[in-house]
Amino acid sequence: MLTEKTLEKIKQIQKNYHSKKSAVMGALMAVQRDSGNNLTREDMDAVAKILDVNPVEIHAVAGFYTMYNWKKPVGRHHIQVCWNLSCSLLGAEHLISHMEKTLGITLGETTPDSMFTLTTAECLGSCGTAPMMQIGDDYYEDLTVEKVDKILADLRARS
Amino acid sequence: MEKILLKNIDKPEAYKLENYVANGGYKSIRKALEMEPDHIIQMVKDSNLRGRGGAGFPAGLKWSFIPKDPTLQKYLCCNADEGEPGTFKDRAIMDKDPHLLLEGMMITCYAIGASIGYVYIRGEFEYGASMLEAAIDEAYEKGFLGKDIFGSDFSLDLYVHRGAGAYICGEETALLESLEGGRGQPRKKPPFPALAGLYAKPTVINNVETLGCIPAILEKGPEWFKAIGPEKSPGTRICGVSGHVKKPGLYELPMGVPLRELIFDHCGGMRGNKPLKAVIPGGVSAPMLVEADIDTPMDFDSMAAKGTMLGSSAVIVMEEGTCMVKVAYITSRFFSHESCGKCTPCREGTSWQTRVLHRIEHGEGRPGDVELLESLCENIFGRTFCPLGDGAVMALRGALKHFKEEFVYHIQHKKCMVDS
Amino acid sequence: MVNIKINGKELKVEAGKLILDAARDEGHDIPTFCYQADLMGIGSCRMCLIEIEGQKKLQPSCITPVMDGMSILTDSPTVVSARSSMLEFLLTDHALDCPVCDKGGECELQDMVYKHGPHTGRHAEPKHRHHGKDYVLSPVIIKNSNRCVQCTKCVRVCSEIVGVGVLGSIGRGIHQEETSFFKTYLDCDHCGNCIEVCPVGCFMRLPYRYTSRSWDLKSADSICTYCATGCRVVIEERDGLLVRSRAQLGVGLNSETLCARGRFGYDIVNSDDRLTTPMVKKYGKLEPATWEEAFGAIRKGFRSSSPARTGGLISPRMTNEEIYLFSKLFKGPLQSNNVDSSMRWSPEAVEGFAAATSMTAGGVSIFDCMDSQSVFVVGTQLSDENPVVDYIVRRISNANGVQVAIASSRGMKLDSCASQTLRHAPATEGDLLGAAALLLADKDAVRFAGNADFNSIKATGIDTLAARSGVSRSEIEALVSSFGSSETVGIIAGTEFLRFPEGSASLALVVEALRGAGKKVTVIPVLDRCNQRGAWEMGAHPGLGTAYSREGVKGLGFAGMMNTASEGKLDSIYIVGENPVVEYGDGNFARDAIGKVGFVVVQDTFMTETAALADVILPGVTFAEKDGTYTNQEGRVQSINRLLPPPGDAKRDLEIISTIYNIFSGTDDVPVKKSAGIFAEIREKVSTYAKVDLSFNNEKNTFNDLDNKESLVGGSSASLSMPQVTGSAASSLASDGHAGFTLVTGNHLYHSGRLSLRSEILGGFIKGAIVEISEEDADRLGITSGEKVTVAGSRYKAELVLKTRKGSASGVAFIAENYNDVPVHKFFRRGESVASVKIARS
Ligand SMILES: Cc1cc2nc3c(=O)[nH]c(=O)nc-3n(C[C@H](O)[C@H](O)[C@H](O)COP(=O)(O)O)c2cc1C
Ligand code: SF4
Ligand code: FES
Repeated sequence: MLTEKTLEKIKQIQKNYHSKKSAVMGALMAVQRDSGNNLTREDMDAVAKILDVNPVEIHAVAGFYTMYNWKKPVGRHHIQVCWNLSCSLLGAEHLISHMEKTLGITLGETTPDSMFTLTTAECLGSCGTAPMMQIGDDYYEDLTVEKVDKILADLRARS
Repeated sequence: MEKILLKNIDKPEAYKLENYVANGGYKSIRKALEMEPDHIIQMVKDSNLRGRGGAGFPAGLKWSFIPKDPTLQKYLCCNADEGEPGTFKDRAIMDKDPHLLLEGMMITCYAIGASIGYVYIRGEFEYGASMLEAAIDEAYEKGFLGKDIFGSDFSLDLYVHRGAGAYICGEETALLESLEGGRGQPRKKPPFPALAGLYAKPTVINNVETLGCIPAILEKGPEWFKAIGPEKSPGTRICGVSGHVKKPGLYELPMGVPLRELIFDHCGGMRGNKPLKAVIPGGVSAPMLVEADIDTPMDFDSMAAKGTMLGSSAVIVMEEGTCMVKVAYITSRFFSHESCGKCTPCREGTSWQTRVLHRIEHGEGRPGDVELLESLCENIFGRTFCPLGDGAVMALRGALKHFKEEFVYHIQHKKCMVDS
Repeated sequence: MVNIKINGKELKVEAGKLILDAARDEGHDIPTFCYQADLMGIGSCRMCLIEIEGQKKLQPSCITPVMDGMSILTDSPTVVSARSSMLEFLLTDHALDCPVCDKGGECELQDMVYKHGPHTGRHAEPKHRHHGKDYVLSPVIIKNSNRCVQCTKCVRVCSEIVGVGVLGSIGRGIHQEETSFFKTYLDCDHCGNCIEVCPVGCFMRLPYRYTSRSWDLKSADSICTYCATGCRVVIEERDGLLVRSRAQLGVGLNSETLCARGRFGYDIVNSDDRLTTPMVKKYGKLEPATWEEAFGAIRKGFRSSSPARTGGLISPRMTNEEIYLFSKLFKGPLQSNNVDSSMRWSPEAVEGFAAATSMTAGGVSIFDCMDSQSVFVVGTQLSDENPVVDYIVRRISNANGVQVAIASSRGMKLDSCASQTLRHAPATEGDLLGAAALLLADKDAVRFAGNADFNSIKATGIDTLAARSGVSRSEIEALVSSFGSSETVGIIAGTEFLRFPEGSASLALVVEALRGAGKKVTVIPVLDRCNQRGAWEMGAHPGLGTAYSREGVKGLGFAGMMNTASEGKLDSIYIVGENPVVEYGDGNFARDAIGKVGFVVVQDTFMTETAALADVILPGVTFAEKDGTYTNQEGRVQSINRLLPPPGDAKRDLEIISTIYNIFSGTDDVPVKKSAGIFAEIREKVSTYAKVDLSFNNEKNTFNDLDNKESLVGGSSASLSMPQVTGSAASSLASDGHAGFTLVTGNHLYHSGRLSLRSEILGGFIKGAIVEISEEDADRLGITSGEKVTVAGSRYKAELVLKTRKGSASGVAFIAENYNDVPVHKFFRRGESVASVKIARS
């Protein structure tokens, strides 16, 4: 079930376009944000109804873009480490294995307490400050192992 | 040198409308609104401004393809998808000086007769998107957007459309497909967007940096602009430098500055003063150059003459000791990850390429792999639906051209030649 | 026209033509996967790349139009190598499980690789697999995505042609998979068009799975026997069982498409319940008998009845040859004009409809109709009743920007591509069209001065007519003005005009008014029984002979026969392929009446409620076991060909009818075994069939031209009359005490008539009888789709599942006429098809 708040957001998004379907991406993202960073089948069905498109088209959109989390649930903090060229040149791999070790999970997995999900990302447009990662909406740049440890500790402390 | 695009970047709170105005902003749009739209298009044509999104297509010429019929709805889409690995220039403008982009869009919309404009921003740029939205809200509040802007009879609405993670949406027709709420797969051309773009209506798609140049051209005139850098690709360029340099970052320089000057003068040279092994001059789709090539000026035509591209002028610098098999693997993995799946050679070809490179990189190379890779390149190149597949080939060919022996070594010795 | 060169040969071709078409016309073979003439071009598979001299890159010929001066190479070394490399790419992730793949032997990928290479494989990496085991998507679809070539034809046919859009491409790059929403069971039309367009073994028929290798099948060209659209099919058998019915690209007006009935309703042929031996009533009980006994009984039974007290009913699903001979039997040797082929419609309604849709003028192609600037669909639930016509309208209107207007009381799938939908009260087509005719004839009053129908609607007045129809005057004006702005108008009119005959006069007036205004009007009648038009044209009508010629003496229609029978005045009746006890408006009445007939002969393929009343039962055969021709609704005459022998002792129907004919004519005139002989006689005796070209060309039509106008019947000089209609159904409704909902009926998407109820496959699509109302009405009643409700009328009450339908008019309820468990006719007064009912949650 979508909340009033989400429905209101979707309504706002729809105003930006001449076509209902154009609001699909925004609506999906709004729903995902409001439901713990994950998208369920029911969510997609609901968006399909609101925007009057076939559910499979919603699924197709969700399945095309990497930012929709529908295949498996992600934890509260979704860590995406850029492993494209610039970041790799400056040690992204090292950071990844470090995090795998400290979090006790491998790439693609979520910690048992659902706190962290660790995945990779292709270039996030922050190459001048490589290596970098994105957690939730936030960019963390010029990373070192020490910085990463601190970031993770802070996040843990915060939640 | 006078900056055009990054001039406000370091000023405090440059993102605020009042500060943008205080820094001399929103003058050009007022000037534009006094002019005939065609005159503006002519100015941009005269300026020789070429698209900064990658292909370097003349902006004024693109605008002039838009039908003049006033009853037709027209659109401007700003391409802020910034996905080419190595590139981080457009983000700076949106994060720090969003009104520059808005002013550029306003002038462009007026010139082409569009009453609606979208900024298609990649979904990961949450911060940039919120900065843009705040700037747009401010502009509406001030009457800079909406009905009859600046007291003229020109009305304009601008919106931000967030992507959600797909490099291909930087390709202009995939971008439109995505804006229409679909999977971002490229459309066939013709019809070209100028005739049937967004919602099948005439549409101009321009990069952020391209649009960022417009206010200055309006203000100081095409001759002034054309005088910066080489006449055929004039203006300044934001070079985003990453990799093994001392001072990576953004450098706005006149077009045509040689790579060497950029790396050694502006970026302070190589990290740890190691020798330079290779440099990618325009995002990973652009074939790499080696030390011997770095006196090449950074403009569209000189780079093309060297068999590579200026692209997004995202410069990735690699020092001696960098494994080129790994570089090739990483870029290939990127392209196959981003292949939209529409056309056969890109979908299957880039994936095959990646599988082979992955094997070689992991010490499981087989004799004949280099020839296989070369043959795959040949079978993909020029046969894909859009240039993404070509990008994958160009990147790999660049590495094979200069460093074939590293691949051969890797295959024969099941390990890396450089980190032994 | 532009000048181009293909492989060195200079040619003139139409500007804008695709390179692919131009090259194929010249006989050059260019392989394709993603191209399909009827779908939007996407140019994605890259199989069709060709070289244009002077251009660096190869170009996709399937989306690139010719340009003046182009020199095209379709077989240059680069092109040839590109082809084989594309196939090599496609094979990298292909499952290569050909030995266990249903598509083996008829797989486009197999054939292409065989032809274009590569003949050795270089891909030695792990393959990407979408999933493990095959998964089931519907009662008829099983899916294996590991064989997919990503042509996306399945997705496109589903949304562009069928219009349900339940398939999509999920994922990106090599992960892209064409499937349903979360791979769940499809809530769709189950038409299987996705299976048909799939070039590989990705979408597969579940019922056909592992039943045969393609090369072990025997096949015959045939026609789908459900509705009157006349789709061509290929039927295929293995070991005496019909295992598949499929359509072929470029063949027939349907090309590759079919609806669920056409693709999956074939299994009735294999039913265990088939009649396989004649039966004769002995001591009040039906007993198996020999043919001699059966014919002997008929010789005796019919001899003793007088012509006026003899009647015949033949199903509009029988062939032209059979119906022709059947009519000839009655109107000749038996000297009775009591012949009918339309149990549900009155003879007057038939005549009025034939007149209003200009059927006497000869066959009209649906493609000519769709060539109009605006098309008006009225009096038909097209999407359910004639699905392939729905596909054609959708496809062509989307591609050519034809303006479509739909008038109906119920919503339908086609609404989504209409620019105007008018929702009128049930049974008021006549009022709606009457108002339209008045608006149209405004400037042409003189022309209609002496027209009684016109004067009568004029006396009623536009506003009253509009009010009765429940459509606002302004909507009707909008409809009329869309006609006004078009020089060519197509009208697709259906069976509601037969159900509510008072509509035909107004339809005729609209057509006349439009023609009077100088417009080209093309009318297509749409019918729900495969040979209904043929049946009328063969003279199976009490008042009309062949080709609509008028009979001297008007015989009894089926209703008349039943009335006579109920009075005990019918001596004998011969019923072929119909089951009036359940299908006639008032089944109990029919049962009673037939019970009173002295001698009853029923010829059918299944034991039916009516056959149970017979004195003699003659086991006939299905379409798969006989030859003959059908005339579809457009007037297109097409052949069916036998594939299987009759089961058991059953005989081909033509043989049975011929034998009976010979018995009563006392001659051996009629060749007993061959339908061709009868068709030759039809050609000779029925003027409109004289020139019909029957050549059944099953060659793949490379020109993408699905129209075969040579097979259309010609026009006749017969003149039909519009029956005088008294009192509209709407007014009789009012006297019923209009409360709650107005119940109407019609065909179900999976059934036209009740024969299809014998299909296990089709049966698998329906969970049980449903009543349909609009979404808004359901909301109003607080009932949700899927709940059980009671539908109560003054005559009958039934419990069904409620389903909502988008876009239906408020206050309209619908129950299909083909449910076994809920005989909708019981709600209606005999001879009517509308009733007032109340709906409440059970
Ligand atoms: C695969 C692919 C990715 C692209 N990505 C971007 C991008 O991220 N940003 C961009 O501005 N242009 C991108 N382009 C180029 C655009 O298609 C288009 O040429 C550009 O937006 C036009 O703007 P311009 O003329 O101002 O350069 C990409 C092109 C391709 C083929
Ligand atoms: S080259 Fe083909 S598969 Fe690749 S991104 Fe372009 S269209 Fe999609
Ligand atoms: S048939 Fe032309 S690209 Fe597929």
